[in-house]
Amino acid sequence: MVVGNGSQHFAASFREDFSLDAPLLVDPELRAYRAAGLRRGRVEALSPRLALNAVRAFRGGARQGAVHGDPWQLGGTLVFRPDGTLGFRHISREAGDHPDIDDVLAALEPGAPAVDESEEPDPRLAWLGRTLGTLLDPTVVLSFDRTGFAIHSLGFDPDDLEVDLGGKRCLITGANSGIGYESALALADLGAEIVLLCRSSERGEEAAERIRQQTGNPRVAVERLDVSDLSAVAALAPRLATRPVDVLIHNAGVLPDERQESPDGIELTWATHVAGPHLLTRGLRSALEKSPDARVVWVSSGGMYARRLNLADLDWRERDYDGVMAYAETKRAQVVLAELWAERLAGTSVAVNSMHPGWADTPSVRTSIPTFHRLTRSLLRTPAQGADTVVWLAASEAARALRGCFVFDREPRRTHWLPWTEESTQERAQLWRQCEDWADPFASG
Amino acid sequence: MRVATRLAPIELSDWQGHPVVLGSLWAERPVVLVFLRHFG
Repeated sequence: MVVGNGSQHFAASFREDFSLDAPLLVDPELRAYRAAGLRRGRVEALSPRLALNAVRAFRGGARQGAVHGDPWQLGGTLVFRPDGTLGFRHISREAGDHPDIDDVLAALEPGAPAVDESEEPDPRLAWLGRTLGTLLDPTVVLSFDRTGFAIHSLGFDPDDLEVDLGGKRCLITGANSGIGYESALALADLGAEIVLLCRSSERGEEAAERIRQQTGNPRVAVERLDVSDLSAVAALAPRLATRPVDVLIHNAGVLPDERQESPDGIELTWATHVAGPHLLTRGLRSALEKSPDARVVWVSSGGMYARRLNLADLDWRERDYDGVMAYAETKRAQVVLAELWAERLAGTSVAVNSMHPGWADTPSVRTSIPTFHRLTRSLLRTPAQGADTVVWLAASEAARALRGCFVFDREPRRTHWLPWTEESTQERAQLWRQCEDWADPFASG
Repeated sequence: MRVATRLAPIELSDWQGHPVVLGSLWAERPVVLVFLRHFG
């Protein structure tokens, strides 16, 4: 039995178009959807998974016609039994999230166990919350984009970045373009000594020269480093640690089309965003503690809001590889890892925080998600606007007291918008253990 | 309150306009109810 939420007219043609034999009911007012506790909302409906499914289907020749019904409503599958118990329930969390047909069929067998419905909150309350969330969701778009920067920056204190960073030493990974470059430029302009950590010496050197020329600050150096390569990180860290480190910015990022592995056999987004930065932080820990006021900044992404910490299939052996998903999951892991580092460095001179830059027009966005870039170009922030919070966290006196925060436009923000993205204490501990397991073989002293 | 109890009294119409009380669907045998995202 199939329930749709469009009108009767569309139900009939839908039934014909898809040669559907099952009886079809229509629920344009969504009364049954609501009573069944099904989800709804922009964030859920416009998941990265849906976007990729759509791209794949389109490439495969499929063409979706006009959508009839509520575009933000999500579906679900439930098995009801004569005794009033529920044999099976799958509430779609995002478009493209479908149940396993075998599980549905098993629930129809006589004697199959019932779904435990005790102690469940009334789904209508959750519905109300989600509907409010949907109404507020447009503010995500009007927040991450340049309008958001214009609005949020009204609250910025211009004196926050009237600081002299003379004598401070800042290390920035992936610093030859985008947000890394803009952060390096701004910090050099404030007088800091800069070390650009770049995969390519040549591109790094070009960036360093531009920064020297624009700022007149000659203390801009380049070290070649592929942060996903743990041996390289382990080899470089002791050389960087010979003098105190005041600022460490984990900015380098990748969004691969296909599953790739680092030289150490770690899936590339995990290696680049998590394992390498973790080892680098470990290797520089004592040098950071030698600074009277050290800052570690993890450049994450707003995309992390869509995913929960997922350590179940780090290697992407059980799922079809999905670069956007891998990116978002490791960006979530960075936020958690920054919190874990902040806990461990509590009581020291080292402040660890993560941030997200909003949607900025950077080379990575242009090449990795070109369609997103084309559609949103006029809304995107400049890389310098994206880098503003990085610089603020690294340089301002106001940010000194922040520890373990996730910061956007100079304000600590919540790390979860969707209840199911919350990780457990055990998963947090598991992330730390995993990072230590990656780093241990390369540790020196 | 069980989901079945909440859903049972709701009356929807089928694709031909005939009214259907949801509870009647599973009165005699189990039923799989698939809620679509949208038509099309």
